[in-house]
Amino acid sequence: MSSQSKTAELSVTSGAANFLRNYYIYFVLVAVVALLSLANLDQFALFERGNFLNKRNIINILRVSAPILVVAGAFTLLMVSGYIDLSIGSTMGLTAVIYAMLAINGMPFVPAFLLTMLAGAVLGAINGILVVRLNITPVIATLITLSLFKGIALLLVQDGVSAIKSGGGLKMPAWFNDYGRDGVFLKLPAAFWVAVAVTLVLIVVQNRGKLGKYAAATGGNPTAAKLSGINTGRTVFLLYVIVGVAAALAGIARSSFMSLGDPLSGDGMELTAILVVLLGGTAFSGGEGRVLRSFVGALIIMALTVGMLTIVPAYYQTLVIGAALLTAAATNHLVSQKGKVS
Amino acid sequence: MSSVTDTLPTRPTRSKMSDEGFISSLVAAVAISLFLIASLLVPNFFQWQNVVNLVTNNWAVIALGVGVSFLLVSGNFDLSVGGIVALSGVLSVWFAQSTEGANALSTGLGLPYGLAIACALLGALAIGALNALFVVRFGIPSIIVTLGTMMVARGIAQVITHGSQRNTNLPEAFGYLGNLSVFGTSIKFPVVLMGLLLVVAIFVERKMVFGRITYWIGANPEAATLSGIDRARHITKLYLFSAGIAGVVGILLASEYKSGFSNRGLLMEFDALVIALLGGVAIAGGFGSVIGMFFGAIILAVVTSAATGLVLSPDWQFILKAVAVFLAIVTQTWALARRNK
Repeated sequence: MSSQSKTAELSVTSGAANFLRNYYIYFVLVAVVALLSLANLDQFALFERGNFLNKRNIINILRVSAPILVVAGAFTLLMVSGYIDLSIGSTMGLTAVIYAMLAINGMPFVPAFLLTMLAGAVLGAINGILVVRLNITPVIATLITLSLFKGIALLLVQDGVSAIKSGGGLKMPAWFNDYGRDGVFLKLPAAFWVAVAVTLVLIVVQNRGKLGKYAAATGGNPTAAKLSGINTGRTVFLLYVIVGVAAALAGIARSSFMSLGDPLSGDGMELTAILVVLLGGTAFSGGEGRVLRSFVGALIIMALTVGMLTIVPAYYQTLVIGAALLTAAATNHLVSQKGKVS
Repeated sequence: MSSVTDTLPTRPTRSKMSDEGFISSLVAAVAISLFLIASLLVPNFFQWQNVVNLVTNNWAVIALGVGVSFLLVSGNFDLSVGGIVALSGVLSVWFAQSTEGANALSTGLGLPYGLAIACALLGALAIGALNALFVVRFGIPSIIVTLGTMMVARGIAQVITHGSQRNTNLPEAFGYLGNLSVFGTSIKFPVVLMGLLLVVAIFVERKMVFGRITYWIGANPEAATLSGIDRARHITKLYLFSAGIAGVVGILLASEYKSGFSNRGLLMEFDALVIALLGGVAIAGGFGSVIGMFFGAIILAVVTSAATGLVLSPDWQFILKAVAVFLAIVTQTWALARRNK
């Protein structure tokens, strides 16, 4: 962020603006958690889970957050490069189905896991080909694959059943649940730690790796990036593949958590991912955004949605997420404006 | 390179069909040939009644497609229309329900029906205004804004209906508009309204300044502003126009089913976008036509109803839609590039 440090030298006020821009996300997280903790949940007594800040509740929130946490970082890098992937929900649903099918047909954990990741990479590559080779607008290309992947996932599940699950002579293996539910460290499951590891790797990639620099350059000024010898096409293609793999990891996590392969299990994930990334201060136009901040954004959204569930009925959820999306977009805009004023 | 200078002067003198006319005819030809192919493959497909059904069963999406197409031409998305359909329908039911109900879902505000639909329409327009506010004033990309307002609109509908539907305690007049048949035929009032809307939209698009400005804004926003066009105002109007159409569609659907269902219009925004794209409306703005969009809707209708006729699992529709849009975009780009070589 050399541009930021440069503006900081220019005036004193921009220091505050930059501070706000860089750290507001942590304040939002603290504020959300504090507010939810202050709300006396016994008063509402819908779920009787007790206080928000108890150990079981925190573990539960982090456990169900694994899919969005694993996707957030990769999605950030893609948006930093100025592109978008609306198909991640469908990729997640399709890979969840593939993973469950492999497992239920007797494949052991490791090969099933790797094959599903490979499937995610292929799905991501399809997006990459549509966008980079065939030059179709990212929104449209990934809307096409959203529909395509969802259709394939629905077709893989036989008629009359809603998801791949035990029954009809086939039984889900006993280990299937472990990845998404079984606490391996600090009582948190492997899925969560994989999400943390992926995020750490992507933070390093963004700060030290070529791909991170290329992504920022592509998003900041595609022409300049091309002229300075960056293969923007390959960068974008690679980012789509990474997002596909991340979505596959999310699909595995969700599938393992619910112990079934639900073709619709990723529905709405693209919205959550956009929301999380915007909340983390990633610019819509590309060029700017941090993996870590999106991770925190994901924590905020999950705390908010799970926390809301204990206070208000479930049918408030769509409204809350929609309003949060608009608020995040507006705040994102205002904060980046503030940075620009100086 | 000399050929460039050779061909340039001759161009304007040839009375040549516009690119839009070319694409619209292409789409129409594809729609008709797909219908003929489907007639060969699917038993009982080649019937007059079936042709009528292709249009009448899709009146809602075609009507939404008009607003969405105008916005796309101006370079903006509108993905909020599906949510607005749910919202205005639910609002019209809630406002019209009588005040003495047995439980929360059967108790409304008890307004007279006319006032109820007027207020529901205002609710729809409010979402349109919200779209305009965020897109025009804040300069936030329209796809993100309208995804957000879609969720807000549907979210409000879900809160009002507690996630299900309201269908009791409605006045007699409520089911009238949506089920009214005209000219003693099976064609319903909403279909006629959709037809009228199409005619008006084509006229506005072709012959009126309003329509031409829309193209201008989409083709070159900077030039439009520099030549004195109030872009903000125009896009605001387009969002209100699109939300208004969606509001009317929602009210008519609620009247047809005599219920306000918070999941009504689910994915309709995507279908409206899909038919516009099939019809050759360019996502980058400045190109496309309502006629093309109409035939795009026919293509989608033929493909999905033929698939149903061939007893393919309904799950196929997602794949068919994806393939249709993909082919449409690739062939249209290719055909235009060839034509303007």
